[in-house]
Amino acid sequence: MAIDLSCKGREIARYTFEVDRSKIRELCAAIGDPNPIFTNPEAAQKEGYADTPAPLTFSTVITFGGCPGIWDLISAMGIDIKRLLHAKEEYEYLAPIYPGDKLDCLITVEALRGGAMEMAAFKTTCARGGETVLVSRMTIIVPPAAK
Amino acid sequence: MSIRFDSIKEGDLLPPLAGQEITQLQLIKYAGASGDFNPIHTIPANAREAGLDGTIAHGMLVMGILGRMISDWAGVKNVVKYGVSFKALTRPGDILCAKGTVKRAYIQDGKKLIDCAVCVEDAKGEVKVEGKVTVTAE
Repeated sequence: MAIDLSCKGREIARYTFEVDRSKIRELCAAIGDPNPIFTNPEAAQKEGYADTPAPLTFSTVITFGGCPGIWDLISAMGIDIKRLLHAKEEYEYLAPIYPGDKLDCLITVEALRGGAMEMAAFKTTCARGGETVLVSRMTIIVPPAAK
Repeated sequence: MSIRFDSIKEGDLLPPLAGQEITQLQLIKYAGASGDFNPIHTIPANAREAGLDGTIAHGMLVMGILGRMISDWAGVKNVVKYGVSFKALTRPGDILCAKGTVKRAYIQDGKKLIDCAVCVEDAKGEVKVEGKVTVTAE
């Protein structure tokens, strides 16, 4: 299996994700983050938030919750998902994300590299009412198969 | 909550978040919370099939623990950019510490910004993730 370099620049998924208060609570519980601003609207408002904001790594929930077929889509590009390693994850935060937000998300293939150490970078843009609120970049690598 | 720009200088240490023990139950909770059900994180037999000696933590969980340290310090609404590279595997039983150091405090386009180097290490000092965060200050 080899990576299909013609996928560079291609849109691989477009979906709408509605932010659920309970998913924010659940993610913070799993991380072990007890900060009440993520679970208690009053505590959040005291800190200047409109409601309980999404934590910094909520993007993962948006990806897997909004696009559960993401691994199949990546696999269809010729990437061996059994061997891939998550190399980098980067975020640009343009505005807080809140429960009830309907996010229009677009995943594109930003960079691809073939050869012995294949690499792929995916960019996800999340917009609320036409305003971009979050840009995420995920870089994966596929080391050579064991011989 | 926010950082006072005048109180920050290069080399300052961020308040660390120590004693974060990773448990198998936490990996199961994180799989459900995040929607990442790759079984190498939750089912030991699947992890062994993939050539590992047992389950490994989601890299994103470790990034999330580091994110907690950052938002505790700066406030989630003040974080402008946050990125990491994944350096080493984390296993149940590992005790993690999230740390950070101020690298630069500067004003750009009228905004007071602070760049920090951040990382997560285990009790032996092995770096699990390392990266950079930019926050706004008052």
